[in-house]
Amino acid sequence: MADSVGKVVIPGDILSEFRASEKTSKVALGPGLRQEGEEVLVTKGGILRHKEPNLYWIDCHQRRYIPAKGEDVIGIVTVKSGDVYRVDIGATQPATLSYLAFEGATKRNRPNVKVGDLVFAKLLVANKDMEPELVCIDSGGHSSGYGVIPADGGFMVHTSLNLVRKILSPNCDILKFLGKNVPFETAVGMNGRIWVKAKTPKDTIVVANAIASSEHMTNAQIRTMIRQLLDKLSGF
Amino acid sequence: MAGLEIISDQGYRIDGRRSSELRKVCARMGVFTQADGSAYIEQGNTKALATVYGPHEVRKGRGKIQHDRAVVNCQFSMATFSTGERKSRPKGDRRSQEMSMHLRQTFEAVIVTELFPRSQIDIYVQILQADGGNYCACVNAATLAVIDAGIPMKDYVCACTAGFIQDSPLLDISYVEESAGAPFLTVAMMPKSEQIVLLEMNSRLHADNMEKVLDLATQGCKDVFAVLDRHVRDHVSESHALMTAS
Amino acid sequence: MKEVPMSTCEREFILKAIRDRKRIDGRQTYDYRRLKVSFGMERGCCIVDLGDTKVLAQVSGKIEEPKKNRPTEGSIIINLELSPMASPAFEPGRPTESGIEMNRILERNIRDSRAVDTESLCIVAGEKVWSIRADVHVLNDEGNIMDAASIAAITALSHFRRPDVSVMGEEVTVHSPEDRDPVPLSVHHMPVCVTFAFFDQGEFLLVDPNRSEERVMDGRMVVGMNMHREICTLMMSGGMLLVKEQVLRCSQIATVKVAEIIELIQRALDKDAQARQAGEKCGFAESVPTNKITTNRKEATAIDTTAAAQQASQVIQEAGPVDKPMSNMLVQAPGTVQIGEGLVNTWDVDDEDMESEEKEGREKSVTNGREAVATSKPTERKRPVKAGEGTVSHAEGSDSEEEETVMLFQGDDETKSTEEPDSTALMQPSNSDKPAKKKGKKKKAAQK
Repeated sequence: MADSVGKVVIPGDILSEFRASEKTSKVALGPGLRQEGEEVLVTKGGILRHKEPNLYWIDCHQRRYIPAKGEDVIGIVTVKSGDVYRVDIGATQPATLSYLAFEGATKRNRPNVKVGDLVFAKLLVANKDMEPELVCIDSGGHSSGYGVIPADGGFMVHTSLNLVRKILSPNCDILKFLGKNVPFETAVGMNGRIWVKAKTPKDTIVVANAIASSEHMTNAQIRTMIRQLLDKLSGF
Repeated sequence: MAGLEIISDQGYRIDGRRSSELRKVCARMGVFTQADGSAYIEQGNTKALATVYGPHEVRKGRGKIQHDRAVVNCQFSMATFSTGERKSRPKGDRRSQEMSMHLRQTFEAVIVTELFPRSQIDIYVQILQADGGNYCACVNAATLAVIDAGIPMKDYVCACTAGFIQDSPLLDISYVEESAGAPFLTVAMMPKSEQIVLLEMNSRLHADNMEKVLDLATQGCKDVFAVLDRHVRDHVSESHALMTAS
Repeated sequence: MKEVPMSTCEREFILKAIRDRKRIDGRQTYDYRRLKVSFGMERGCCIVDLGDTKVLAQVSGKIEEPKKNRPTEGSIIINLELSPMASPAFEPGRPTESGIEMNRILERNIRDSRAVDTESLCIVAGEKVWSIRADVHVLNDEGNIMDAASIAAITALSHFRRPDVSVMGEEVTVHSPEDRDPVPLSVHHMPVCVTFAFFDQGEFLLVDPNRSEERVMDGRMVVGMNMHREICTLMMSGGMLLVKEQVLRCSQIATVKVAEIIELIQRALDKDAQARQAGEKCGFAESVPTNKITTNRKEATAIDTTAAAQQASQVIQEAGPVDKPMSNMLVQAPGTVQIGEGLVNTWDVDDEDMESEEKEGREKSVTNGREAVATSKPTERKRPVKAGEGTVSHAEGSDSEEEETVMLFQGDDETKSTEEPDSTALMQPSNSDKPAKKKGKKKKAAQK
């Protein structure tokens, strides 16, 4: 059903006529689609997406995070237990983060992580049967941006997963446009958490709110909104 | 109660007190052997017992463990014979649960809980006879018990009520005055710094009169403090004398 | 369910912002969030929105035997329900300590301050009295349930009508609403709670804390007060210490806030009474806008109209004086205008005529207008800008008592605007289905 790509589908819809890969003649079904016998059933309400050559999935407004391998997330350290930290990433279970999974960490040299700290990490293990596992290093052992987020002056906003995807998509220019006017640092976790830090708390508040309120806006509207925010800001 | 005159023409109250006079306070510390600290207090006809256990390990409800401070657990109860009407009072009724919670909040603010992380302090209070100002008697008794148990506190915490009846503020409201339906204020404070730990008010009081009543209650707390302090000093010097004598 | 833990980072930032006299939602220290009071179909049902906090109160009455010690008084029961629906922090089952505390504050505020006359609820002394029960359900907890609940409870009590009762000798008749008009409760005064949150051992204080501020605060103070500046409850607790001056200051702030809130409640009650008298539609469903599926409410936002305004004024200058106004307009439904008939544009108007319209300031509607910007921006508290003559639509939100909202509609055909830079407003005849959807809203069209 190539013609329903980009359209709204609802749970219970049955889809057919998928375009299969030419080499393998297989179709890859992503989140929200499920094979039931001969048919492909829609299990989430949302927009059917297609990526060449054979990948289909459903984009839906979801707030609860389902861990997926390789995604970047922001977690909150809740417990230190033995060799691991337990980190809340908003999923069904807390994730584990080994204290060795930091840049330069050894058995002797433990990283300085406290309960309540934010960590920006990558999901190493994510499947429905196992506890998700996080790492703060890449395969070469370097931090490459991951690690503990310092607690001095940044702020974290909780958003829907859709907004995160939107912000990260190349078509969305909110971060670019905002950054041109207010310099800020940011870390975007796929689990619906966005950490931002600007020069002053005031700027941080503005950036955080601009991001949080941009969910249902088009690029043009976002620009308008940001422009007005900045007008207000200069008049503060 | 409408016909009852709370203040006579001469300015005396039903029990013969002046408007800014406390009832007689009588206190004893270290009344029980099992508890780590205990105290008994009489404020007029209101009588309360308090016992303190702790700090000890958190027993039930391990979820409550605080990794940076001690948990304070309070339980308030009223004896079946404490009021004119004799009825069994379940511990879980709203009033006593609220009272327990207020006591807990009061003592959490005053006890230096940071010194005992991952532990628990139990405060049990029982009203033996209720004649108004139950919360105050409980706080005062518990303060003495906590001091008796040797648990570090920032300051004493003293509580007192003040009402506003017939256009004049009254200190230390008794049951009769309480049930006349007039507004009254319950204050728990640290008397030396005059910092308020808990404040509660019932019925209607015009905002302009607030200050007067609050001032009187503050004075009352200080008076209570003077009495309690004397008791504590007597008690400590007495036991000290016994120790040195042996 | 376990609540999402709060990170040190968020906690520190909120505190730091408060020390800088800023709040994360852009409010000032003493600002309330947007307060909205709406009513259900039935009498005695009230929904209060305080920002994103939503509380519903329903009042009901039944006849029962009075208490032995008060044979001539009816009873008022207030029950606060913190259902696990409202927040992951609430557990099903027994009420929690904080739930009991809030319930007691509500009781003290409304019942113990004798806001509702209980003696008038007596039917036969010692035998039959009315027992009025107010159930307050928290639907969504975004902080400060206390204030929302107290507003909901007292408004619902004022909104409630109990069936009329007559006593003939031994016989008590309860009249149906058709038989006799139900009677309101006699509400003497309206006590409302104002919550103050304290930070840094009482050094900083905020009014109406939201959820994240509540999680960071040291303690809170609730002041229940009525219009006559009488304090009906006062509750301060939690691990913080205050001095007398702070308490008195809070009571002063509360005076101002309570006056504002009660005025709003009164206006909402009056408006509802008028609506009911006029036989208009009312009720919960009516109070929720239906123009978007995923959310149940959408606040108006400003859009940038400076360019359009400039253009408009330019065009107006160029156009010069108007010849004659349009005459054959047909008002089909409130807020819509149709000129001519059918879907075809029969106006035969050019830009000058458009301008004439504009100057007349008539109501217009772009029927296939797409809602352009309406998502709320929490940081913006300013009213949306009304720029240019007639370029901004003016829609009265179906229920927002607090302020007039301005909504903007933008023609969906953006190419048109670029092709015809001179035209400021492009109108198309109204077709039948769209106005029905936007019923009850006055609007003008704006298109760049």
